[in-house]
Amino acid sequence: MIRFEDVNKVYKGDVVALRNVDIEIAKGEFVFLVGPSGSGKSTFLKLLLRDEVATTGRVLVAGRDIGRLGSWKVPSLRRNIGCVFQDFKLLPNKTVYENVAFALEVIGRPRHVISTQVPQILDLVGLSKKTDNFPSELSGGEQQRVSIARAFVNRPLILLADEPTGNLDPATTVGIMRLLDRINRTGTTVVMATHDQRIVDAMRRRVLELDHGSVVRDQARGVYGVGT
Amino acid sequence: MISRFGYFTRETVISLRRNLMMTIAGIITVMISLLLFGGIMLIARTFDHGTAKWKNGVELEIFMNVKASPAQVEELRAQLDNDKDLVQSYRFLSHQDAYEEFKRIFRDQPALIESTTPEVLPESFRVVPVRNELTEEVKNKYETAPGVQQVVTAQEQVKRILRAIQFVKYIIWGMAAALLASSLFLIVNTIRLATFARRREIEVMKLVGASNWFVRVPFMAEGIVQGVIGAGLAVGVIWALKNLISNVLKNRQDLFQSFYVTSADAFGIGVLVLLIGFLIGLIGSTIGLRKFLDA
Repeated sequence: MIRFEDVNKVYKGDVVALRNVDIEIAKGEFVFLVGPSGSGKSTFLKLLLRDEVATTGRVLVAGRDIGRLGSWKVPSLRRNIGCVFQDFKLLPNKTVYENVAFALEVIGRPRHVISTQVPQILDLVGLSKKTDNFPSELSGGEQQRVSIARAFVNRPLILLADEPTGNLDPATTVGIMRLLDRINRTGTTVVMATHDQRIVDAMRRRVLELDHGSVVRDQARGVYGVGT
Repeated sequence: MISRFGYFTRETVISLRRNLMMTIAGIITVMISLLLFGGIMLIARTFDHGTAKWKNGVELEIFMNVKASPAQVEELRAQLDNDKDLVQSYRFLSHQDAYEEFKRIFRDQPALIESTTPEVLPESFRVVPVRNELTEEVKNKYETAPGVQQVVTAQEQVKRILRAIQFVKYIIWGMAAALLASSLFLIVNTIRLATFARRREIEVMKLVGASNWFVRVPFMAEGIVQGVIGAGLAVGVIWALKNLISNVLKNRQDLFQSFYVTSADAFGIGVLVLLIGFLIGLIGSTIGLRKFLDA
């Protein structure tokens, strides 16, 4: 599903963000991306979203070299990749329902599709009672559920999560991880960048550790730190 | 498709209202610049009609020297009579005829008429050539005839007036262009503000894979709406100006009787003005969006 072929990413000013990254992630995998700040986790996700382009090497998603996509094809790539962030990126002037519907509306889905899919997904994330609330009226965990609903409503092949639990307390984090796990079980490939040692240790999924842009560990049922 | 149209309409209206002051400023500058532009076009058309009439009934005026002898006048008359290849017809204006015309032209200035006597006004022949193109030839032939002071062609007069008009037109056109440029910048700025105000939404739209066009259309519509409304207002004023010109020129018996402007002229100019307004809006919003399109 995802393939990095000897990828290097150098930003302006010779800042090396990724160094000879060569990995493959199969369809339906759940992968934790760990490592200290500045180790290249965000760059890894940005390359997948085609927010950035690899300096050398190839990034393939579903067999396509996305570094060579024309800019007009980037939207169709992103329709297949859902995205969740630490800061949720919800629109404050729209209700829960509208925030999720917006994602379908702007990719031109017909109204009847929107009116059936949005309630379904809000039910899945457990927010069917909060559809008319505004983000400011929700807890952090609920806001992240809305953002996951928005990322997943279009049934993408891949879900990227950049520190999705970074702003949440431990109890809420467990709920979000259950939700991501559930989404993963539908066959969606999930890549999650995180600092949270406890969830990595608890989930026992594949762990990719980055350090100064290099993959220093790729473990099938890993924990957060080596030897802990 | 219908829901998409509804979406675009809604977003455009919201955005226009959010930047109401900028929107109004944009509309007004578009209106004023296009008004200048269209107004000049309209007046130019009026003059075109007037001068076209002059050009068609081209008359040459062969002015005799004031002191030309009657013999010289008769000689020239004979020459014109026999010049069937060039001269279709002619009319002779005696000193007295010239004085009558002088009195008519300067009817508002009795002092000038009083101080003038028929003898100081030259006699002249008003010649209509066989064909318009022969005007120059007639002029060259008779310019050097004995007793002739000068040959004035209508075209020369027309050209002189047109040159003056042209000069004024250039100045006003320059002003219109400057205003048009500033209205363009205003629209660019409005669109930049609009994209900034909606940067969160744009971020989300790009994230979930909205096509570039989908993101752009409401903003482009916003720019185009400004351009077209401004142009529409300008067209309204131009139409009023057309009626004003028509009223002023109606029933005129003097020099301006051949000046007029048709509804077709005003319509053509109106369409052109609307088109320019549309283009200004389109170009302005495209430039305004350029920065965010790169990302």
